[in-house]
Amino acid sequence: MSTQEPAQLNISPKRPSMWRNLSLVWLVPLAALLVSLGIAWKNYADRGELIYIAFENASGVVANETTLRYRDVVIGRVEEVGFAEGLSKVSVAVRVDKDIAPFLDEDATFWVVRPEVSSRGISGLSTVLSGVYIEGAWDEQAGVAQTVFAGRDRPPLVQPGRAGRRITLRTEDGRMITEGAPVLFRGIEVGRLEHPRLTVSGNSIVVDAFIDAPHDRRINSATRFWDTSGFTVSFGADGLSLDVDSLASLVSGGIEFDAVFEGGRPASSGAVFDIYPDEATARRTAFARSMAGGVAISVAFDESVAGLSDGAAVKLGGIKVGEVGTLTASIQNESANAEVRLVAKLLLQPALLGLPPGAGEEDVLDFLQNAVEGGLRARLASAGLLSSELMVELVRLEDAAPAQFDRTAEPYPELPSAPSDLPDFAATAEGAMERISELPVEELMAQAISTLASIEALATSESTRQAPAAAVALLEDTRALVTDPSTRALPRELQATITDLRAILQDLQQGRAVEHLTAALKDGAAAASEISSASEELPALVDDLRTLAAKANSLEAEELIRSVNKLMISADEVIGTEQARALPASLSAALDEIRATLTTLREGGLVDNANATMASARDAAQSVADAAEGLPALSARLERLVARSEALVAAYGDRSNFNTETLDVLREIKSAARAVSQLARKIERDPNSLVFGR
Amino acid sequence: MENTENTQHYLTATEAGLVGCRACGTVAPQGTHVCPCCQSRLEFSETASLQKVWAWLVAGLIAYVPANIYPMLRTSTLGQTSENTLMGGIIELVHHGSYGVAFIVFFASILIPIAKFIAIAFLAISVRKPANLGNHGRLVLYEVVEFIGRWSMIDVFVVAILTALVQLDFAAAISPGIAAVSFALSVAFTMLAAQSFDPRLMWLAENRVES
Repeated sequence: MSTQEPAQLNISPKRPSMWRNLSLVWLVPLAALLVSLGIAWKNYADRGELIYIAFENASGVVANETTLRYRDVVIGRVEEVGFAEGLSKVSVAVRVDKDIAPFLDEDATFWVVRPEVSSRGISGLSTVLSGVYIEGAWDEQAGVAQTVFAGRDRPPLVQPGRAGRRITLRTEDGRMITEGAPVLFRGIEVGRLEHPRLTVSGNSIVVDAFIDAPHDRRINSATRFWDTSGFTVSFGADGLSLDVDSLASLVSGGIEFDAVFEGGRPASSGAVFDIYPDEATARRTAFARSMAGGVAISVAFDESVAGLSDGAAVKLGGIKVGEVGTLTASIQNESANAEVRLVAKLLLQPALLGLPPGAGEEDVLDFLQNAVEGGLRARLASAGLLSSELMVELVRLEDAAPAQFDRTAEPYPELPSAPSDLPDFAATAEGAMERISELPVEELMAQAISTLASIEALATSESTRQAPAAAVALLEDTRALVTDPSTRALPRELQATITDLRAILQDLQQGRAVEHLTAALKDGAAAASEISSASEELPALVDDLRTLAAKANSLEAEELIRSVNKLMISADEVIGTEQARALPASLSAALDEIRATLTTLREGGLVDNANATMASARDAAQSVADAAEGLPALSARLERLVARSEALVAAYGDRSNFNTETLDVLREIKSAARAVSQLARKIERDPNSLVFGR
Repeated sequence: MENTENTQHYLTATEAGLVGCRACGTVAPQGTHVCPCCQSRLEFSETASLQKVWAWLVAGLIAYVPANIYPMLRTSTLGQTSENTLMGGIIELVHHGSYGVAFIVFFASILIPIAKFIAIAFLAISVRKPANLGNHGRLVLYEVVEFIGRWSMIDVFVVAILTALVQLDFAAAISPGIAAVSFALSVAFTMLAAQSFDPRLMWLAENRVES
């Protein structure tokens, strides 16, 4: 038998502990888990704030793609595009960076940037390719962060945090005011208009404008705004002028401003300014700056004040001293029959009246009281020659009816008025017009027309047209004669004759028949006396020639024109004839003809020829004069010759041969002397023939 | 011994008092810690092996979560940047009509990794708690998982190649997202999990049931 073995223990090995045998590999999933959790936590922690922006529509906005940018830096991304309650708006959920979110307070604005082409240029071009994005703007101060915002349809004209000043402009006509229109200062854009809106009452339009720094300092109480939109066409004494501002303001309107006087007080932020229709109007209001401090007086007019309006000028001696405030009618109850009087309220400016600075109402009233006693009256006057506008004129009338300056009148002190002289002016103008209309203009015109017709008839007649040609031909002939060599040679021939005479005398002196000359002496003496008498007449001839030359000299173009004028006068005399009147009138033709005739005259060389002829005549006359000067000497010499001949004759006595020879010589001398005498006589008889060859 | 009825009884190395080297196949007496042939460790610990499998599997699962949540690709075209997650990309491909490509991506990036997780988990569980799938079936499953593991990296390769090729500045640019790294890690962890699984555990489990 086998030993009893102890019952075998059913020993099961201890189950190895899960934890004891834990492998190091478990660190890997642990690390992976930690890293994943870490990343998840970091992402969650870094996750930005979710804000909701409400837009009218979400065109182009895509969830997870459209970005939110601030100064063109991406700071967020659209996560969801949904609807606000009631589908009234689109609500865009944007995840904004955490560090930006605190700045999104109530002044934050958002708008969708899209490509835009407007009169001010092209913007948002980059979004054509990349799609739209949402741009935000807010100031640099972190405020109470918000998560729900109202988006804008358009970019704000003024982004929050921009330096400058917001002012309010007021106008009655909103047609020329558009949102975004530029505000210009001397043509430079310094600001923008915002959205125009009607006032509650609806009778004016206000628009906010933002003026960028530093130009906003120019806004003060002296600043006036005016409309520069569109273009201005004005027609005046200096012609047509077209005034166009910048293209942008032409299209979208624009407002310009400037200080219309020096030293305006700083305007408070939010001040309201008026927009004037044009620059001239704006500048005229420079005066209105001080009207608030004006002294109010009233003037009652007995006549119609039609044409007098609020703001009309009040002038003293031509200088504006105030303006008309309001016009009212008041009833005078003094008498039984109530009388309606028209009362104008005048605002007078003490400074403009010449009163010292600081003068108050009392000073003005004192001044007026004294002036009224001196004859100062208010009366209506025409503001312009042609306009029907009236103004109030303060004039000192010497013959004014006595009146008092009523300081106690209600509501304002009353200045006495004087009747205006407006009707007189009208009457004068009328009379002048009447006189003008009575002028015999038509008869004058008829007369002128007939005169011109006569002139035309004369000018177009053949003879008139031929006259210049004939004159030219005459002068040509004259010149030809004067310049003819034979005419010129005449004095020279005289000289030659004298030379011959001298030669003969030489022969005589040398001859031996002197003593036989006695008989011939009488003839010689007669010849000598004849020559002498001829030579005495020669200076007269020369004088004649001189006068002729002078006359010819003075006969110039003026004379000619004067002659033409005379011709015209004569022509005018022809008017009387019926024939002349009957001629068809053609003013321009007649004048053209006259001009043509004159041109022909000028071109025909008439004047030049005349001048040339005169010069030639002068030359000829001079030659004749020179020659004639020699004549007395010649005659004297002849006399001496004759005397000597007498002596010779006396010496030689009657000797036949010599005597006959001498007699022949003397006969020749005699004939020569006769020829000279004849020439001299001919010149004397007709001096002009020498010149004109007739 | 139901199983023996069908199959011939075979002698396992453990029954023979031997231990086999997984690297070179050399058998050594039990108790040997270092392979006399290749000097690799001859360790045969059921718990250590399973722990490794589970650890890598968990790590792979953890990494697989961000791989699906975060964008795989960041594509910028003409200033527009779009980010695509795995599933988002697949949906986009379907929208574009590229069903084939969409299916390939879906198969490689979604189906296979998830199938791998399930397969490895099944194998690991079946060691302790034998399933009705036979040894052969499980072995085939194991081989398939190990073989297919490397192909899961195809997504990562695509991303890497695209990133390298498409860098055309403004016109087009592609950059990898966090998911690419996560996915690569997930695939790597899964492969390590498959590697860690010792098929001998299946026989061990069978023997235990037998005895």
